[in-house]
Amino acid sequence: MEGFLPWQWCVVWWIIALPCLVFGIYQLKKILETDRDALPLLGVTGGFIFILSSLKLPSVTGSCSHPTGTGLSVICFGPWITSVICAIVLLFQSFFLAHGGLSVLGANIVSMGVVGPLAGYAVYRALRNTQINMYLTVFIVCALADLFTYFTTSLELALAYPAPAEVGGVMSSFVLFMGIFAITQVPLAIVEGIVLALVFKYIVQLKPDILLRLKIFPEEKIRAARGEA
Amino acid sequence: MYEEFLEDIAQTNGLREVNTYLKLLAGLGAIFLCLLSQSYIGPLFIAIVLSVTILSLAKIDARTYGGLFILPFTFAIMSVAVIILISGGEETFWSWSPFPWLSLSLTSESINEGFFVFCRVIGGMSALIFIALTTPMTDLFVVMRQCRVPEVVLDLAMMIYRSIFMIMDQLVQTYHAQVMRLGYGSFRESIQSFSTLCGSVFIGSWSAGEDLIRAMDARCYDGKFAVLGETRPIEVLPFITVALFLGVSSVVVFLARDLPLLGAGS
Repeated sequence: MEGFLPWQWCVVWWIIALPCLVFGIYQLKKILETDRDALPLLGVTGGFIFILSSLKLPSVTGSCSHPTGTGLSVICFGPWITSVICAIVLLFQSFFLAHGGLSVLGANIVSMGVVGPLAGYAVYRALRNTQINMYLTVFIVCALADLFTYFTTSLELALAYPAPAEVGGVMSSFVLFMGIFAITQVPLAIVEGIVLALVFKYIVQLKPDILLRLKIFPEEKIRAARGEA
Repeated sequence: MYEEFLEDIAQTNGLREVNTYLKLLAGLGAIFLCLLSQSYIGPLFIAIVLSVTILSLAKIDARTYGGLFILPFTFAIMSVAVIILISGGEETFWSWSPFPWLSLSLTSESINEGFFVFCRVIGGMSALIFIALTTPMTDLFVVMRQCRVPEVVLDLAMMIYRSIFMIMDQLVQTYHAQVMRLGYGSFRESIQSFSTLCGSVFIGSWSAGEDLIRAMDARCYDGKFAVLGETRPIEVLPFITVALFLGVSSVVVFLARDLPLLGAGS
């Protein structure tokens, strides 16, 4: 929310966010040079993140709870490109709906576009070539990307508004912010995981070609999921 | 969920013809001043001036404008309550320690801090809403191109911009169809329907996007959307107004830097 973080923290989060964005833009260039057809998918993923993250729920903290929808993009394009998509989506949100803000954009990019996707991506890489069900993987990735986003947001809030040192400082306000977020965010993350896993199922059934081309899951897995031997 | 996008309002607002850079300067300058401010007075002043501008010059309906503040207001009040309770201070009015690691208290310092953050949010939000209501995204694309934002990012931004409207259209139609068929009767059904909704809309707009690229390729699209935007000249009166606004606001922010709500002069 605009004006919520003191300017020092706005600057800090911008400094963390910028290198990630630069690297993301570099990767984006490379992908678009080799595969022009990826552009519509990138666009739709962005639109999708926009719509999902516009479903705001009141939460008792500075920002608010909403699904993030970054999981799908992480699986398709990796964490760095996701951070670019997120940056654009967050910018649109401030201009279309007056959600979020420009000074806190850096902090929002870090939580929703960098830390959440990185956590999701780590899980995806770990589980991709194992025997674990593909949809279960998608579910875990999406839910974790969402949870880690709020983990980071709580940290951002706690760092900016710590409790006095004698009662635990940053740690105590971090726990407080986390606790408040958890009420809405844990169920939301689970629902989001289920929804995105089902969306992924439709993609596998109807348009598996791009999943194969981007080498998102091993071919046998996708074939097996489509019921082809 | 299906609220009207500010974009629609921005396309027809009273300040549509004012130079985009001037509007951005006013909005971003106001945000900057709110952040630099050390007292609640500066942001409050900015909020009042910008609200009057939005209502009188941009001719935005007061109900619409007020409605935009409901959400930030609720969030601001709740989060400021948390800040007031945890930040502590010396002149304590009330305190309570439910756990050893958590102590909630009401002090004059924490109330000052909380009220200040609240006003900063209100000031910042009114500046953000000012930009959102007076500057359509299409104008911002022109500015982004002139500021040398990388082509890929701009391309992607426009693609996302388009797909948002595409997705929204399909989403609303399918959603209504689902509601009419009692698709959201129980929690289980809601999850099922909502996933079907998302999945079908996702694939639908994806193929629409592919069609778009194919159509554009046929028209010699080379990975660079042409942005046709006329730059409006910077006129004297708007320029002076913006300069005056930023100047006076800076003075207010500077003069009011040591004025807390409670315990003045402390």
